[in-house]
Amino acid sequence: MNKTKFKILAIVDAVIIVALFIVMFSLKGQYNEQAQTSVKEQVGAYQEKANGVLQEQWLSMDQYGMAWKLLFTTLTGDKTEATFDATAKAIFENKDARLKQLSYMYTAAGINPEAQNKINEAAGMADKLVIKDEKGVKEVACGKNCVITFTFAKGKLVSQDYKALVEYNMTENFKLEAPAAFHFE
Amino acid sequence: MNIKTIAIALTVLVFGVLILVLTQKGNYVSQATEHYEKTTANSFKGTSKIVEYVGSSIDMNKMLWALSCEAIQTVKSSQDMAKLEGKYFPSTKGSNSISKMTRRFEATSAYFIVSSFDKVEVDPKTQLKTLSGLKSIDVNALLGEVAMAAPVEEEDEGSEEE
Repeated sequence: MNKTKFKILAIVDAVIIVALFIVMFSLKGQYNEQAQTSVKEQVGAYQEKANGVLQEQWLSMDQYGMAWKLLFTTLTGDKTEATFDATAKAIFENKDARLKQLSYMYTAAGINPEAQNKINEAAGMADKLVIKDEKGVKEVACGKNCVITFTFAKGKLVSQDYKALVEYNMTENFKLEAPAAFHFE
Repeated sequence: MNIKTIAIALTVLVFGVLILVLTQKGNYVSQATEHYEKTTANSFKGTSKIVEYVGSSIDMNKMLWALSCEAIQTVKSSQDMAKLEGKYFPSTKGSNSISKMTRRFEATSAYFIVSSFDKVEVDPKTQLKTLSGLKSIDVNALLGEVAMAAPVEEEDEGSEEE
């Protein structure tokens, strides 16, 4: 190649280098923004999922505690339908006692008060205890996938089925999936 | 430096910059992936720990509630109670307080129940004292109505029956 051709090659190279630097810097900003947005979205979605599991467990624990209290109080009381209804209502409406019982269970499990407050603030309290009341058969929620039954005839308790509560497996009902692989979108 | 050298050097530089442009996305992806994996792994670990701890702790709570509910329906004496305790908690024993006519069963330091009886009975042959006539079962620890670090009552003047 002669000198002129090398000159042209050098100029073309210089132009390409400048163009590549421009492309590189513009992509840099774009990738940075993309990476931050993707991480924020995917981390946020996973944390929401994780918090959802904790909140759902909290609400189930609330129902679990209320169900045992209602069962025990019913078995030690006069076993009338009227007393059962009044007890269920009183237990459900006494949010301070529910929170105390919940907090005690979480503290016994080694969960610190800060974590409990955080879950409680987001989850609130369970909004149901007695979920069905038909012809003397009362179904009481005792957690996620847990129902116990009280059967009344002529206003008196004839039977109670709380097998589901005795066999309730809290760990099996609440499982958080491991995070999915990161996708750069 | 002649123009030939400059042209060759610039051509090499073009390829160098091109490689930089093509690999920079990979760098961002790996940084973002690292941050994502670290953050979500912490979330996974923290949440799973809470779920597991609560689940395991509640197994004790559940068995003690089940024991209390069965006891209130079937137990008459401290001997019956001891049998029932053995059914739910084979390796833990309760203790009688003859003076207070109570029997305390502690599943864990947080979860315990206290059964109250209305009579002390003495076996004429063995002089073994037992309690009879179950009046009530105090489940305050299951309801969270006690202080977590409640001192354990160590009075155990009764005889253990199995």
